[in-house]
Amino acid sequence: MNAWLSEQAAMHAWAIATAAVVSSGCALVGTLLVVRRMSLLGDAISHAVLPGIVVAVLAGGRPGGMLVLVAAVVTALLTVWLTQALKSRAGLAEDAAAGVVFTTLFAAGVVLVTAAAARIDLDPSCVLHGILELVPFDTVRLGGFEVPRAFVTAAAVFGLLLAAAILTWKEQLATAFDPAAARAAGIPVGLVTTGLLAATALATVASFEAVGAILVVAMLVVPAATAELLVHRLPWMALVAVIVAVFAACAGYLAAWWFNTSAAGMMAVVLGLEYFAAAVLAPSDGVLSRAVARLWLAWRVTCEDCLAAVWRSEELAADGRAEAPTAVSLWQSVAFRWLAASGQLVGAQGAWRLSTRGRVEAETVVRSHRLWEAWLGRHTELPLDHLHPPAEWIEHHLGATVRKRIEAEVGVQESDPHGRSIPPERK
Amino acid sequence: MTSLAGIPYNTLVVAAGVAAVGFAAGVIGSLGVLRKRALAGDAAAHATLVGVAAAFLVTGRRDLPVLLLGALVAAVASLGVLVLIRRFTRTRDDAATAIVLGVSFGLGITLLSGITARGIPGGGGLEQFLLGHTAALTAADAGLLAAVSAAAVLLVWLGLKEAVLVAFDPDFAAALGWPVTVIDYALVALVAVMVVVGLPAAGAVLVTALVVIPPVAARQWTDRAGTMLLLAGLIGLVSAVAGVAASAVVPRLATGPTIVLMAAAIFALSLLLAPGRRRGA
Repeated sequence: MNAWLSEQAAMHAWAIATAAVVSSGCALVGTLLVVRRMSLLGDAISHAVLPGIVVAVLAGGRPGGMLVLVAAVVTALLTVWLTQALKSRAGLAEDAAAGVVFTTLFAAGVVLVTAAAARIDLDPSCVLHGILELVPFDTVRLGGFEVPRAFVTAAAVFGLLLAAAILTWKEQLATAFDPAAARAAGIPVGLVTTGLLAATALATVASFEAVGAILVVAMLVVPAATAELLVHRLPWMALVAVIVAVFAACAGYLAAWWFNTSAAGMMAVVLGLEYFAAAVLAPSDGVLSRAVARLWLAWRVTCEDCLAAVWRSEELAADGRAEAPTAVSLWQSVAFRWLAASGQLVGAQGAWRLSTRGRVEAETVVRSHRLWEAWLGRHTELPLDHLHPPAEWIEHHLGATVRKRIEAEVGVQESDPHGRSIPPERK
Repeated sequence: MTSLAGIPYNTLVVAAGVAAVGFAAGVIGSLGVLRKRALAGDAAAHATLVGVAAAFLVTGRRDLPVLLLGALVAAVASLGVLVLIRRFTRTRDDAATAIVLGVSFGLGITLLSGITARGIPGGGGLEQFLLGHTAALTAADAGLLAAVSAAAVLLVWLGLKEAVLVAFDPDFAAALGWPVTVIDYALVALVAVMVVVGLPAAGAVLVTALVVIPPVAARQWTDRAGTMLLLAGLIGLVSAVAGVAASAVVPRLATGPTIVLMAAAIFALSLLLAPGRRRGA
């Protein structure tokens, strides 16, 4: 019983390891595809290599063997060449040309598989979504261990892709971000792109048995797109993409085992969840963090407006024109209460007064406002009654340095264009 | 009457229904190709699988109208997700399309495999929606497909002038005060509908070809939009009938790939034989 259990565990471990290595390779290549906006080319290639693989298998190649790898690369380059030829010779738009080529090649591959199903070791459903669960049953002996053949292929291809990525990193980077400058610097841009396409084909064909032709597109694009939301430098993006991919391989496989369903499909689903989580939770670009930042800004603006309103009412009271500020919205009345609770306002509803700390804050806001009006009054043709709205907006965004620069520009002034005094710098 | 010249009556009716689908797909696909949105329906096409599987799980029935309604909901939802990704993230359009396509197909495969593994009665046949399989369609199914296709073609007929102008010169159309965005959405929605009715014949993976290949083949022969739409419809019709015939004759051969190869052959011939057209959009 124990031996059986550990054998089961080893089977699952090999399947997970294969899935992880396969999707790491895809994530690495996908990073470059995504930053170069070539995601759909990855989609096209992953469909189109099918007939190449089938022909190679019919010619006696083993799935995952050298012949099949070469055939896949050749078919991928043929796909791209055909797409370009249709673009220039038939005057088609790029997506239409790609659409014609990859659907046709994929259809040809499916017909070939169907016709030859009895003779070869491929079946139509494996072509579509792979059978990761069967990977551990087909092994080779390696250094005294039984190792799944798909794992050996995947590891070799991953090593090759990693080495190629490291060796040509500078060229790939230059070609990705500024092809014109790269060409001027003597980098063979065409060759670099061809290399990337060949790498896509290799990653695809190595994934083929595990995840099938169509789910490869998820393995190529989703980890990189997820990483792009989280980090902003390419080497980090590649690393994060690989981590995202490995997590999806492990979690997807285990979830599929738990729910008794397709491992490859579940890996794609986990990748989708990871992308969704990144889109919502990413530290600087996430939906949530941007919403929080907007909310925080709105809150700060409201508090500053309330303080400035109290300051202005005290200014008017000094002229004998008392006018107590009142909250005009629920949001503002909450702000007033918070300002009182945090010790920036004293007194009660309808008769707020500034505390010492509140006065510093309020005078900073009013000073920003009136300095900006003074600057606008000097440098623009705006009529007097048009100075207030822009100042009302920018008063929340000027820092001490900018205020100092403005003051140096307009000269130290007692009053703004409306004739009201500009408070001195308090911060 | 149960057969005509040795062909079963049901096969004839199904062939007629699928022919109507092929025609409508060619016509609507032409507008998509002219608008340079040839692959607009590809993500939606892969997403339909989720809808088919979910509709089966929810209703427990395998009636074509129920499954296609699920497919339509999923297709529209996938387009909605695309819009959301565009609106709320930095992800570029090409990656967004690939994400929706790959992840929704993965979800579809997960549901289908789950259904198969649990041996839910009738669930096995759902795999036919991957690559298309017309042999199991009934005359009523074919009638539904034909009716939706006819309605789609009628809509195009009514809005042909507007759709063609928007396709060729969206800026001019906008300057005339036309709601270009609405017309664009209507076009994408029509493509999604065609992808859904094309599903039983061509399958989720290849149905995009129905709205891409016949139009680009037709484009080789003419510079007139009306002629192109009609010609693309006819090429789609011929390809669809060929697919049905081939899968009726050859056992285990899926309909979708045959339709695609037939359309591709017509495209290749058009490329070689069509007079006087070398470049230009």
